[in-house]
Amino acid sequence: MNCVRCLLRLQSLGIRSPSVRAALQHPAWLQRSTAPSKITRHNTCSQALRRFHGSAACSKSQPVSTDQEEKDKSLVTYDDLFEKVARDTKTKATFNRVLEVFCKRDIRRRGHIEFIYAALKKMPEFGVERDIAVYNNLLDIFPKEVFVPRNFIQRMFNHYPRQQECGVQLLEQMENYGILPNVESKVLIVQIFGEKSHPMRKFQRIMYWFPKFKHTNPFPVPRHLPEDPVDLARLSLNRIANDLDAKVTVYQTPCTDVSESGEEITFPLVVGIQSPDQMELLAKHNPSRPVFVEGPFPLWLRNTCVYYYVLRAEPLPPKEKVEEPYDPERSFYYPLELDLDLDRDLGEDNSFDVDEVDEGPVFAMCMTSRGDQATLNQWISGLQETNPILGSVPTIFRLDAGPTELQGVSD
Amino acid sequence: MALLRATHLTQAARFLGCFKQTHLTQGFPQLSPCWRTISGGEYRRPGQPKEYTPIWKQFDFQKGVKGMQKHFALLKEEFLSRWTGPEGRPLVEHMLEQTRVIWEFRGPKSLENWTVSSDREIGGRSEAFLKLGRNNTTCQLYGTLCSVAPRDGETRYSGYCTLRSKPLKGAFDSKKHHDWTSFNTLHLRIRGDGRPWMINIGAETYFSHQKDEIYSYFLYTRGGPYWQDVKIPFSKFFLSSRGRIQDDQHALWLDKVNTIGMTLGDKADGPFQLEIDFIAVCNDRAHTEEFAYEVYKRNPEV
Repeated sequence: MNCVRCLLRLQSLGIRSPSVRAALQHPAWLQRSTAPSKITRHNTCSQALRRFHGSAACSKSQPVSTDQEEKDKSLVTYDDLFEKVARDTKTKATFNRVLEVFCKRDIRRRGHIEFIYAALKKMPEFGVERDIAVYNNLLDIFPKEVFVPRNFIQRMFNHYPRQQECGVQLLEQMENYGILPNVESKVLIVQIFGEKSHPMRKFQRIMYWFPKFKHTNPFPVPRHLPEDPVDLARLSLNRIANDLDAKVTVYQTPCTDVSESGEEITFPLVVGIQSPDQMELLAKHNPSRPVFVEGPFPLWLRNTCVYYYVLRAEPLPPKEKVEEPYDPERSFYYPLELDLDLDRDLGEDNSFDVDEVDEGPVFAMCMTSRGDQATLNQWISGLQETNPILGSVPTIFRLDAGPTELQGVSD
Repeated sequence: MALLRATHLTQAARFLGCFKQTHLTQGFPQLSPCWRTISGGEYRRPGQPKEYTPIWKQFDFQKGVKGMQKHFALLKEEFLSRWTGPEGRPLVEHMLEQTRVIWEFRGPKSLENWTVSSDREIGGRSEAFLKLGRNNTTCQLYGTLCSVAPRDGETRYSGYCTLRSKPLKGAFDSKKHHDWTSFNTLHLRIRGDGRPWMINIGAETYFSHQKDEIYSYFLYTRGGPYWQDVKIPFSKFFLSSRGRIQDDQHALWLDKVNTIGMTLGDKADGPFQLEIDFIAVCNDRAHTEEFAYEVYKRNPEV
């Protein structure tokens, strides 16, 4: 009921945004939007109490409840509150409980700025830093309608700067974690700070820029990476192979076995990828020249780092290079090569005037959970089944002493 | 009334920026005591003392002779190159060229055009190094990123590593700029490790309060052993100042480009590497967009 009144009041203030209108059309949604209804109840109380709000000293002399006196006066009170309420389990539910406890404690929400700053800092600890509902609950702590400028002088100057700064800070943390605010946040910001306040500006900026850059990444990484190491290896190998024809082969799944002598043997994971083009290149490789197994090279998938190994050859010396003529039967529809002697103007030359970086061809890539030579040998022997030439080519291991696990650093 | 006029003057002085504030505000309290110096050199961390070297310790005769030789050679080259054509190249080439390689890495000399920096200068713990690749034909930027903010009470975020080209200098350290007006696309050949980077282009600005303005766009790397050709149209670059996207956007003016930079700051702590083969500009005739973002006045104005 209260929120309906708030919204009606907003409408009378001249808000014609479609979101609020939509909200007015769906009262059921409203009920949900301000789920901690106790918080809204306090709202009206604070509004009613405002008339008596004399000086800070005056209000301090009247303790609201008895446990206020027991409260210590240190600066880290609100950190303590989090520690006290959520002593053992740090989850979303306990985080919301802390917010509730704070709202219940003082009718005027005294110290809400400090509390919100403390809560923002605690959010990653509770694992709620990517939860839009929690951010909305946090915004809900601000008393409503108190900080809205009422006349042009207030509007002209920075009205309640600390509170506005805190609101901007909250939105900035959302921005840093890549969360788009929703209609509920907008309604809350309008209720708290008014329509042309700094937090509202911040909100508008986020809403303007975030959708623009949402799909800029041509190589998107899923938000939640697969837990299974085989799936993770498959995903990352497909990413780096950059070839739709490339085939992932699992040479060995990770398992633990007990040998006859009673020792436990763990078989590491070996997953490799090879495309038909790479197979063709390897088949043409001169068997007298060695191939190299190199690695580990890092690959970052958001906050996770995985390592891969590469089978490659040294670049051919210039005299051994053979220019392969195009097979005219490769395409019957159009010639793949035109030997016309037409002069091209400089204005039609779109090539870059640089020397090619001379690097040897890559024949295959793999990922293992253990980067020693024995494990990689297993990969090479697995590759031999499809590439018989590897039996006659000497293979040299050039391994850096690097991290040996598949999943090195994880968030 | 007099006071009012004085404050106006101070405002004007602050706007112009190049005036010494003391000339105009003698006798009046300074309105903004902490205001970053316009011609400041290095970033001075909060709490760090100012360094002062007396002038007689900066003097070196040998260095002076070398400098004179270098600068007179540059002056001669500058004078003579006009007879060949604009920017020292024949006119036909100047008018018709569709691609131009600006930076390529061939040999250790090419690394001198670049500056590497990390958040160590603001008190962070990241490290970044630049070296030539395996065959001396590429440049490799590597290091570790650490996004722990320095505990100086002011800095809230940290964790970046940057590679930035040095601005062009003519004879006697006069300003010179890249003129890329006949191109519309930036072309890079890189090999990364899957991390997202940011490309920053610094253009010459008129007012000194615009000196932090750079144009940025994202550079996504695929990772893996293959080279990656990236084409970014200049129309996609958006204006930002001190790391904040600006509300008033306008297209990058390509006639006076000073620097190009690459920044990593993706909050993923750990080692990183980026290999660059070359950086070029080209004219993509299929791309006609002038600016990718709205430049008209929006309502409600953000």
